[in-house]
Amino acid sequence: MTIASLVNRWRNPSALPGFGLSLGFTVFYLSAIVLIPLAALVVRPWSIGFGGFWHVLTDHRVMAALRLSFGGAAVAAAINAVTGPIVAWVLVRYRFPGRRLLDALVDLPFALPTAVAGIALSTLYAPQGWLGEIAGRFGVKVAYTPLGVIVALTFIGLPFVVRTLQPVLADLSLDAEEAAATLGASRLQTLWRVVLPTVLPSLITGATLAFARAVGEYGSVIFIAGNLPGISEIAPLLIVIKLEQYDYVGAAAIGVVMLAASFVLILALNLVQNWAQSRR
Amino acid sequence: MSLVVDSIIKRFERFPALNGVSFTAPSGTFLALLGPSGSGKTTLLRILGGLEFPDGGTVRFADLDWLAVPARDRRAGFVFQQYALFQHMTVSQNVGFGLSVRPRRQRPSRSEIARRVEELLALVQLEGFGRRYPSQLSGGQRQRVALARALAIEPRMLLLDEPFGALDAKVRKELRSWLRALHERMGITTVFVTHDQDEAFALADLVAIMNAGKIEQFGTPDEVRRSPKTPFVAEFLETEQPPKPIYRLGGTRPGG
Amino acid sequence: MRRRSATQDHPLTRTLFSLIAIGVVAVFLVLPLAMVFSQALARGAGVALKAVVEPDALSAIRLTLLTAAVAVPLNAVFGIAASWAIAKFDFKGRQLLTTFIDLPFSISPVVSGLIYVLIFGLQGWLGPTMREWDIKVIFALPGIVLATMFVTFPFVARELIPLMADQGRGEEEAAVSLGASGLQTFLRVTLPNIKWGLLYGVLLCNARAMGEFGAVSVVSGHIRGLTNTMPLHVEVLYNDYQFVGAFAVASLLALLAIVTLVLKSLLEWRFADEIAATHRH
Repeated sequence: MTIASLVNRWRNPSALPGFGLSLGFTVFYLSAIVLIPLAALVVRPWSIGFGGFWHVLTDHRVMAALRLSFGGAAVAAAINAVTGPIVAWVLVRYRFPGRRLLDALVDLPFALPTAVAGIALSTLYAPQGWLGEIAGRFGVKVAYTPLGVIVALTFIGLPFVVRTLQPVLADLSLDAEEAAATLGASRLQTLWRVVLPTVLPSLITGATLAFARAVGEYGSVIFIAGNLPGISEIAPLLIVIKLEQYDYVGAAAIGVVMLAASFVLILALNLVQNWAQSRR
Repeated sequence: MSLVVDSIIKRFERFPALNGVSFTAPSGTFLALLGPSGSGKTTLLRILGGLEFPDGGTVRFADLDWLAVPARDRRAGFVFQQYALFQHMTVSQNVGFGLSVRPRRQRPSRSEIARRVEELLALVQLEGFGRRYPSQLSGGQRQRVALARALAIEPRMLLLDEPFGALDAKVRKELRSWLRALHERMGITTVFVTHDQDEAFALADLVAIMNAGKIEQFGTPDEVRRSPKTPFVAEFLETEQPPKPIYRLGGTRPGG
Repeated sequence: MRRRSATQDHPLTRTLFSLIAIGVVAVFLVLPLAMVFSQALARGAGVALKAVVEPDALSAIRLTLLTAAVAVPLNAVFGIAASWAIAKFDFKGRQLLTTFIDLPFSISPVVSGLIYVLIFGLQGWLGPTMREWDIKVIFALPGIVLATMFVTFPFVARELIPLMADQGRGEEEAAVSLGASGLQTFLRVTLPNIKWGLLYGVLLCNARAMGEFGAVSVVSGHIRGLTNTMPLHVEVLYNDYQFVGAFAVASLLALLAIVTLVLKSLLEWRFADEIAATHRH
């Protein structure tokens, strides 16, 4: 009776069969493919001790790469935080021919392989590219500079913001907007002071998702980036270079930083969700 | 083949849904579990059906340690509150399901299954509805399909969880008398959960009035009405309507 | 008299927002796509076609298809098992399990490949062991499949868990009360209810599996004709300044993306209810 009651406290027994089998398989598969390999990453850098780990990270080239990856991702997420809501609003509230097509297109960066996006963006913004040429006339160089990195990261981040906002905007009841109107607010005032604050948690979530994706992005960026050490080299590329030089520890060190950033972001996202729930 | 329930205890987290429930019902009885929501009646029903497991107590039925028998082997036909019909199967496929999943040796042939399904559909007055899908049926019709499906497995016990709750008054009354007639015909031990007194007293041979996980009173409808044993029972019976003569369905019953 | 409802934007606002939205999508999203096809056909369809059927390209296509054929079904089986355990049962640690399953989504593709190098590479945990047994994982097919499995790991599970949770246990309990075994219950009651959600998850899983670049790039070694998937082949050609060839192969991948988007939209449109649960962030 005691073992049974201990198990019962862990889970409410059910008449449905297959729990042990499905859970067992799930945990096994999860550990083998995800958890154990991640453990390998986390353990590796410490083989040279904390001092060595710190030394690797504070190397000038590594710092520059981290700065570019994180900084570029932040700028791109910020841009998407502005354009994303507008796109989402148009898709949710306006009716016009081709709206469905526009809606489907937003998923393009999700569906398009990153290498394809990478070479397309690189050619597009290169000095002789369709857009690169136009930028050139204003004296702005996009490809092979940090600006190119930002452009690429904006491309892949846009769907995150739009898709996170869409269902929330669609679910908004019109009461609040109607009330604002009866109180004399203009539409723009209503949008800015009534609608936006309501969807703010989702906007932050979307922007954070875009940021998280952008920090680790590789394929879309390396073609347009220029990859000059210390200037236009992103952190993931540095990992690849170190691996090619068999510097496993160095690669792992950068990898751990990026993994830690991912965890922090997941945590932040959970906090934002909790904050959003408590507001209701 | 009486049903003997002894000191059943069930806790959800720390909430005691059932706090020592015991009763005995002779074979073939129509027993109603009557009480307000939260009294534990559905939990008790699910334990009888094998869909929940108690933390203490025993149940004996058909000379078996009932709790040791897995749900799929109990042949306890369960009619769910929300019908739980298989949405993507036709009415015939729903009704025949219990027969089609029997182990090979005990499984009837396809034509035999079809014949039995037709029989059952006629019994529940849904002839010709075999090829429709649940989404094409009204609430009352779905309920009858659910009943036919449970009857198809030749159950030793029939368990109904507020089966008429979602239906309008007229349909409810019709189904009530029809269910009682069915019970008289088939004589299966039936346990019926409801919060509606009129329904319980019109249908049942025995009534268990439940409150907060305990049985407050157990007896025939007349006994319970004439001599309520606890203040709760007295109050519960008075809250609905002023007492009126009980029109028992299905003819003569002792105590009528 | 203004006939605009109180919750409709001013026509000027509508025009401005619409232009911005269309402009953003056109410039940031459509132009790159258009670029792929226009560059591929820059010297005519014939040249593009030749680049696609050339031996290294063909073996890249083969490798991509093979990788997906292994990774996608395995992750689909996992997704089904995980969602059955998580959605149909009550136990402590469900939330933690779900968070772990979502992990690969938040991790950089390069890191996803790195972890397998750290285990199977020459200096990895199992590196020497693999060398002893003459098993090649890194710079060979198994490594590519593993890395692909990692990055596409959550797709089916993420789709099915909310869906099955939403559908509840009622029908399964009814089936069990009628005498069905676990397998019968799953095959005849659960599976038909989740089939469109499953298809949707598999579709997304496959698109990612065939298009994965970063993770595969790390473990593959870029050996032409042997360990290059289509995305890697695109990179190799591009870095060799063979632009038409690169864009021609890229076009195939872009076509895959378009087909995926079309099927995705179709499923969302027609079977919204049956895949509904997920889109509720």
